[in-house]
Amino acid sequence: MSLKKKILLLFVAVFLAIQFIIPAHNKSGQVLPTDFAKVFTAPANVQSTLQNACYDCHSNNTNYPWYSNIQPMAWVMARHISKGKAKLNFSGFGSNTTRKQISKLKEILNQIKDSEMPIPSYKLMHKSARLSQDEKTLLINWLQATADSLSVSN
Amino acid sequence: MKNAFTKDNTSEAATAGKTLQAAFINFDTKTLSAQQQKIFTDIADDAKEHAEHIGANGGNIAHQREHFDMLSKDMADLIQTFGNGGQTLYKDFCPMYNKGKGAYWISETKEIKNPYLGKAMPTCGTVKEEIKQ
Ligand code: HEC
Ligand SMILES: [Cu+2]
Repeated sequence: MSLKKKILLLFVAVFLAIQFIIPAHNKSGQVLPTDFAKVFTAPANVQSTLQNACYDCHSNNTNYPWYSNIQPMAWVMARHISKGKAKLNFSGFGSNTTRKQISKLKEILNQIKDSEMPIPSYKLMHKSARLSQDEKTLLINWLQATADSLSVSN
Repeated sequence: MKNAFTKDNTSEAATAGKTLQAAFINFDTKTLSAQQQKIFTDIADDAKEHAEHIGANGGNIAHQREHFDMLSKDMADLIQTFGNGGQTLYKDFCPMYNKGKGAYWISETKEIKNPYLGKAMPTCGTVKEEIKQ
């Protein structure tokens, strides 16, 4: 057997072996009373855009795509989810103080405005998470108005 | 930290962010009354996150400034509740940041040194309030 072939076989063997190392799934199956959707009565298109583009990494419920059953993709996703949730968790949004909710709304606004989120590799695989300029404007206006109204009532 | 931003110095701002974060974490709240503790914890919880992000984002001054904007609001509230520590301070306003929505910052000098626009427009802004003893 040539060296090239040996190396190739080794890669295949490793690839197959790692398929058995599966990270725990992030799927609670329930919508908490502290969920963004329950705390605010956002227009349906605002909520659905956030759910569609952000909840996979920033909530307790990820919709796992087909490729997430293939390692090492699932590891990359698990890492995004744990880092993403540490910064922002839509499922527990209501358990933040009002002050923090205002900050988070502004951070979300900034990330969308600067096109930092969703992260590029995710957009590559999720066409529907690529926000159009109209969708961005809609989100930004709603986020700004909501942050302002919380600031006033606080 | 503010002075690092006026010079567009992202790494200095990051260092200041880490220092401020540590200061919030290590602050001994025992000297405060129960009511004061509540207010302090509310503000500090938020402020230390902004300080953390400023500390973690050396190299991305635009993102650091976004957090500096929110942090400045916390600092203003903190001063309003707990005083200025005997030093006259100025609450300044930059009308151009945030696409014309504007942003505040706290300064120890009467002279305007804009931390949001930095070297591009160092003297943009006005004193909105003088915070005396
Ligand atoms: C593929 C996973 C993924 C998706 C989808 C995603 N994010 Fe994130 N998000 C992350 C990760 C990972 C981080 C932490 C980045 C870091 O620590 O540098 C993060 C950080 C953030 C932060 C904190 C930023 C800061 O430092 O101030 C906000 C706000 C945010 N995301 C909002 C969003 C919004 C809004 C969407 C949808 C439009 C979204 N994210 C979609 C993974 C994701
Ligand atoms: Cu940040």
